[in-house]
Amino acid sequence: MLGKLDWSAIPFDQPIPLIAGAVVLVGILAVLTWVVVKGHLPYLWHEWITSVDHKRIGVMYILLASVMLLRGGSDAIMMRIQQAIAYQSQGYLPPEHYNQIFSAHGTIMIFFVAMPFVIGLMNLVVPLQLGVRDVAFPTLNSVGFWLTATGALLVNLSLVIGEFARTGWLAFPPLSELSYSPGVGVDYYAWSLQISGVGTLVAGINLVTTVLKLRTKGMNYLRMPMFCWTTLASNLLIVAAFPILTATLAMLLLDRYLGFHFFTNEAGGNVMMFMNLIWAWGHPEVYILVLPAFGIFSEVVSTFSGKALFGYRSMVLATMAICVISFMVWLHHFFTMGAGPDVNAIFGIASMIIAVPTGVKIYNWLFTMYGGRIRFATPMLWAVGFMVTFILGGLTGVLVAVPPADFMLHNSMFLVAHFHNVIIGGVLFGAFAGFEYWFPKAFGFRLDERWGKLAFWFTFTGFYITFVPLYVAGMLGMTRRMQHYDVAEWRPWMIVAAVGMAVLSIGVICQIMQLVVSIRNREALRDRTGDPWDARSLEWATSSPPPVFNFAFHPDVRGEDAYWDMKIHARQQSLEHEELEYHDIEMPRNSPTGFVCAFFATIMGFALIWHIWWMVILGGIGAFATFVVFAWRDHDEYVIPAAEVAAIDRFNLEERRSLVSMAGVI
Amino acid sequence: MSDQTHMHVDHDIAPGDEEQHSVGGRALGYVVGLGLALLLTATSFFIAGTDLVWQPSIPVALIVLAVAQMGVHLVFFLHITTGPDNTNNVLALAFGLLVVFLVVGGTVWIMAHLNQNMPPMDQIMPMRS
Repeated sequence: MLGKLDWSAIPFDQPIPLIAGAVVLVGILAVLTWVVVKGHLPYLWHEWITSVDHKRIGVMYILLASVMLLRGGSDAIMMRIQQAIAYQSQGYLPPEHYNQIFSAHGTIMIFFVAMPFVIGLMNLVVPLQLGVRDVAFPTLNSVGFWLTATGALLVNLSLVIGEFARTGWLAFPPLSELSYSPGVGVDYYAWSLQISGVGTLVAGINLVTTVLKLRTKGMNYLRMPMFCWTTLASNLLIVAAFPILTATLAMLLLDRYLGFHFFTNEAGGNVMMFMNLIWAWGHPEVYILVLPAFGIFSEVVSTFSGKALFGYRSMVLATMAICVISFMVWLHHFFTMGAGPDVNAIFGIASMIIAVPTGVKIYNWLFTMYGGRIRFATPMLWAVGFMVTFILGGLTGVLVAVPPADFMLHNSMFLVAHFHNVIIGGVLFGAFAGFEYWFPKAFGFRLDERWGKLAFWFTFTGFYITFVPLYVAGMLGMTRRMQHYDVAEWRPWMIVAAVGMAVLSIGVICQIMQLVVSIRNREALRDRTGDPWDARSLEWATSSPPPVFNFAFHPDVRGEDAYWDMKIHARQQSLEHEELEYHDIEMPRNSPTGFVCAFFATIMGFALIWHIWWMVILGGIGAFATFVVFAWRDHDEYVIPAAEVAAIDRFNLEERRSLVSMAGVI
Repeated sequence: MSDQTHMHVDHDIAPGDEEQHSVGGRALGYVVGLGLALLLTATSFFIAGTDLVWQPSIPVALIVLAVAQMGVHLVFFLHITTGPDNTNNVLALAFGLLVVFLVVGGTVWIMAHLNQNMPPMDQIMPMRS
């Protein structure tokens, strides 16, 4: 009846996951009770859960990413403490638990923190920057988000019911095959990635279509803000690369469920094919994450330097070059696995070449700052911190792109330090910069600067104190993923890294404090102008938060930096009051499709993991029925009458006039 | 959202938005496509079993016929043209082909080298003796 599921799935003998699970469960129940008792449930359902508004979906993506960041961060803290104390001892985490923690940490940080964070920011900002009212497929957008949430839910469920994979974040066979991982851990891993992978692919298709097909009047490709370009490149990579991941995991699942032999050691299977395919997805994946971050930094650096982006066209070219070259370097993840000098040399050279367009970008940002009037607001601090950190990470990356050096450093702590250096220094700093920068746009009030700066400095220094020791430990020969070790020279570095982790955690606490303090002082921090940073692109041309239809009129774009031009133009024309004629606006109706679909997908995923076949069929039928009901809907749009549009827009314009008159003077 | 369909900056059409031809003209296009596709399929089956042509040329002929088949599908069913209204579709196709070429070609190349450098144990042992 319940497949492999019975009471032995609950880890009663392991206090750590059980207590963590209980605390989270109590927390969730408390929030739910509060929501129901206070009567917020209808509001949540109508305004958020069923919303197809790209801004709301973007916010929900970022919320998901933030919650998962805390989960992944807790795993990181546990690992750093374990390695600090596990010198000639077993530490406090038994090996099977430690292995689950590093696997869950990697999986969560890439798939359920970095991905939803950047997709959330793209969702929130790109339609506004393009001057349009929504993404190309609003309901599909909601489906994509909720499927990602399903994946995150399944990963978290594995904490309490069953176990997670002990195989590392990419589940290399033969370890991940049934003979070596008979438990449900790898199944949790694979099914949560398959389901959230569908969500990611859907988001990718949606955003590519949005950038290519929905742009306001005059918004040529070469007038799009840099963030739209990097969004395009990143989502093209999603569309091209994620099917490889899906196919590879599908083959692994066929091995595990139906006795196939794609990647087994026996019967003609080839484990090397898994490495090859997973990295053919895996390397584009890192550019999927970092390209949007590059876009965010371009916007931030240009805004806070008060200058147009230096070398806009070279930036576009560099972005698209990275988009293509990122598909030519994947072998550098397995130089040591015996492809031989010819193959290694070619991929090594390609890996060094891909650093060139990235270098172009760094110079462009530096030249944008050069001669500018730089304001060191929190987003700009993250951007400058990124440049310093990312150059260091990039240089160690070029170092390990040299095959002979890689033979020494492969799978060492040096490598661990390198990819954290680029992912934290690039993607996470970018996500935080974007969060600080666009928060006023999403919610209508700025974030507290004092706590924001504290958060930056603690995170920045904490990052170095944590990861520079890992570089050193790697040079001393320490390999990654060690549950305990006996080498005395490594010990001090592990202790320093644990101290760094504590400093990083203070940074995270500051970030939470910043949010709390800002929400309390929201009236004082209110942004009435819609343009708190004196910025340059179209998202700032509407109010904060924007009305559901974003723009009462489609903006008419006449050049790069569309909104900056409008401000200068408005000042020169001394703001003539022309009476505008408003029209009705049609907007897509909210739909529970995404939520219901993900509900059934969760049931199906859980049932697949535990081999509960009747429930698999039930979930599958439910998800398909949801799709059919949606496809047969009669009304998919509603009309906002012209009078309502006029009322909202006139109020916004009044609020804005004071600032616009100062444009270019500030 | 309906007003947004009128505001494309370039006049690019998406797959599925046909220009307004008469139904007869469009049906004719599909019938010609179907005819060509059937012809190419039948030829492939015929070539595979025949001894009328030089035998080693058969695989090459089959590849040529398969590529022609793809071309017929692209032109008559997916309506890919070289016109200015089709830039996005052509670019998407080119990007897709490039990625498939890189991943499949790269995989074949890498796996061939791996197989050569790392034969199974039982094949290494005889070399030592």
